[in-house]
Amino acid sequence: MMKPITTNSYKKARQLNLSVLICLAVALFLSSHTAFSGSIKGSAHDLASKGFDAGENCIICHTPHNSDISVTVSPLWNHQPASTTYDMYYTRDDSLVSQPTGESKLCLSCHDGVTAIDKFGGRTTASFMSGNADPNTKNKQSDSHPLSILFNSASAARNPSLYDPAVTTITIGSGGTSTRTGTIAELLLPNGRVQCNSCHDVHNNFVGNSAKDQPFLKITKARSEICLACHNK
Amino acid sequence: MILRDSTSLFSRVFTMSQLFRLLLQYTLLMLFGSGAYAGIANTKHNLSVTGTGNIKASTEQEICIFCHTPHNAKPQSPLWNRASSGSVYTPYNSTTIFSSPGQPTGASMLCLSCHDGTIALGSVLSRSSDIVMNNNVTTMPQGNTLIGTDLSDDHPVSFDYTSGLASQRGELVNPDTLTGAVKIDKTGQMQCTSCHDPHNDSNGKFLVIKNTASALCQTCHIKDFWKETAHSTSSKTWNGSAPDPWPNSNVNNVAGNACDNCHKPHNAGSQQRILNHSVEEDNCIPCHNGNVANFNIAIEFNKFSNHPITDSSNVHDAGESAVVNSRHVECVDCHNPHAANGSNPLNGVRGIDQSGSEVTNITRTEQLCYRCHGDSTGKPAARTTRQIEQTNVRMEFDTANPSYHPIAGVGKNPNVPSLIPPLTTGSTITCLDCHNNDSGPGAGGSGPNGPHGSNYEPLLERQYLTQDPTSESPSAYALCYKCHDRNSILSNQSFSRHSLHIQGKGMGGGGMYRLSTPCNVCHDPHGVSASQGNSINNSKLINFDTSVVSPSSSGRLYFESTGTFSGKCYLSCHGKNHNPKSYPGGMGGGGGGGM
Repeated sequence: MMKPITTNSYKKARQLNLSVLICLAVALFLSSHTAFSGSIKGSAHDLASKGFDAGENCIICHTPHNSDISVTVSPLWNHQPASTTYDMYYTRDDSLVSQPTGESKLCLSCHDGVTAIDKFGGRTTASFMSGNADPNTKNKQSDSHPLSILFNSASAARNPSLYDPAVTTITIGSGGTSTRTGTIAELLLPNGRVQCNSCHDVHNNFVGNSAKDQPFLKITKARSEICLACHNK
Repeated sequence: MILRDSTSLFSRVFTMSQLFRLLLQYTLLMLFGSGAYAGIANTKHNLSVTGTGNIKASTEQEICIFCHTPHNAKPQSPLWNRASSGSVYTPYNSTTIFSSPGQPTGASMLCLSCHDGTIALGSVLSRSSDIVMNNNVTTMPQGNTLIGTDLSDDHPVSFDYTSGLASQRGELVNPDTLTGAVKIDKTGQMQCTSCHDPHNDSNGKFLVIKNTASALCQTCHIKDFWKETAHSTSSKTWNGSAPDPWPNSNVNNVAGNACDNCHKPHNAGSQQRILNHSVEEDNCIPCHNGNVANFNIAIEFNKFSNHPITDSSNVHDAGESAVVNSRHVECVDCHNPHAANGSNPLNGVRGIDQSGSEVTNITRTEQLCYRCHGDSTGKPAARTTRQIEQTNVRMEFDTANPSYHPIAGVGKNPNVPSLIPPLTTGSTITCLDCHNNDSGPGAGGSGPNGPHGSNYEPLLERQYLTQDPTSESPSAYALCYKCHDRNSILSNQSFSRHSLHIQGKGMGGGGMYRLSTPCNVCHDPHGVSASQGNSINNSKLINFDTSVVSPSSSGRLYFESTGTFSGKCYLSCHGKNHNPKSYPGGMGGGGGGGM
């Protein structure tokens, strides 16, 4: 699993020798990959059958060199980041959620249906996401769970039907290849925000290997545990 | 697996900050109680295979999916996963409504996407085929939770609940003060979610607060007098005899049922005012038949003379005018169920005062009676045909009248020697002193007080015979003798010929007179209106029964007062001609001899 690289650490890293950075990043990438080896192979994120990647599973999203850094948390990004302006979700008190940030922008670079799936490594072909795997109808984010929103103890204090992410302990992974225990904030909230990867782990198989039934979920849908991890309903 | 059991973490070595976190978590658990943590999974709204209710899926394991989806939701908030039925609903309406509930909106529409019974429970947007439910259930099965598309028998929803509505309607709190669990939605409308929290069933029926003694209802509805009524204070319980007065409740006492004693917020028996039963008195009788309340009022209406509450249904209208023209009577025409109590069953009812104006809360009993027995149209003819006809009792009791029974004020006649103390000529009485239960406390019985029914018509507390002739006895005119001492009357302390007329024991004309004239022949018990009579001819309630009394030989028919205990009569009665006959005077004196 990729370790999130914070803004500060990234800026510091940029001041280092580029090769040191790359070595470090690749080492991190490989070490996490090793822990759950094989899980992307054969998963819905294994796009080998599409013929885009000439057998290089990672290349659709990642490259060891000359990566795109336009998104702050970019993990050696090789895909064109989404640049669309989205219709965003209105919360119950009618406040509009801001445009997606961070990891969510990376996911949307395929899943928004606007950016081509095969827009990587200088390719110019144009295959677009459609159907069940597309959570959005083109640039619409308004009908999906709000993205890139802060979720902290203050949010929980405002809304009693949310668990306090700083103190509530959960376990991710059930029936999958691994489990981890920690707070909601530690396990689900990159930089304290709800992102696509709060629920989904793009590489790993925590709860079973069926993309259709458990689409890369960190916690099982059975008994709606993925929802009820944060929502105290 | 979601770990919620903090005790399992004690196997670890804790830092101070971890201990603090655990302490905070434990405190939150204590604050919100186990109910909050039990969560939706342990409610009937868990429609998955693990649900607690009878309505649940055959195999589906997801709980939230029946209503919510993280992607492609419609409407987007709250990530809704169900289609709208497109039904046209019949909203609540009533003759006393001030709000304007139209087609349901907002959260209510979401609830109805299951509860109107038109969409399969397993039909969700995120699945291409319906989730299969147990027992072949598709749409919401028949039962209390099936609201249907007819919302006219449900508490209104989706109306603007404004401070203006509250002040216009009255007996409603200002919505600006609703800062607790009961809320209106962001558009200012009352919705299903004002009373129900679909995720939390810790209060029962998914209510946002416990409805103990109708606390939920009373968050918005503040009924005048409510704290005074037995319906909010009585600890009376049901004796178990059918019918069950509280078929929709598990509470077995009056105060605990509170609003539920009469009202049902969904699928009510009546539409308007969401009452348990559509037939008006059926809402009252199950308690007031001896099974809950002290008295069996229901059997009173089986008596020969009664206020006929069962004669009409759906004629009474809570929005009707104070003067009732479509004459009818229901329990609530005389009683305010939000105010009535044992010591004042007429608490908080409206009426018509002596001047004919509406009063919101009566201060005198007759004000209530005047609603139907005063200025109303369609009243039947008077029971006795008299010289002066009047069926408007408000006019009969007016204190400007030459004579009247002292209902609306002290009477006109300063000399009434028959009055039984403590009554004096300065006393006033009420309609209920004459019109009441013949087995009630006024008649020395143990039955309920009040003019519900009597074996003596017209709904009189005691016997009052009016047929001519009537053989005098204490019981024949028991009603009159209640206040007017029989010995005084028969010893002629006021009218010197009382005994002669009543008992027929006069001598003259060659023998004994056999007269047995009822009081009612000469006296009009209510009074004679000033608009029709005068103090010379109609003092002392004189207004002759023209079926018995006819004009004299000179064609005159009237009484003429000539002073205290004296007067003249011009009339012909029982073949005797008074033209005139004066009193006092010697027995058998005057022209014509005898009477």
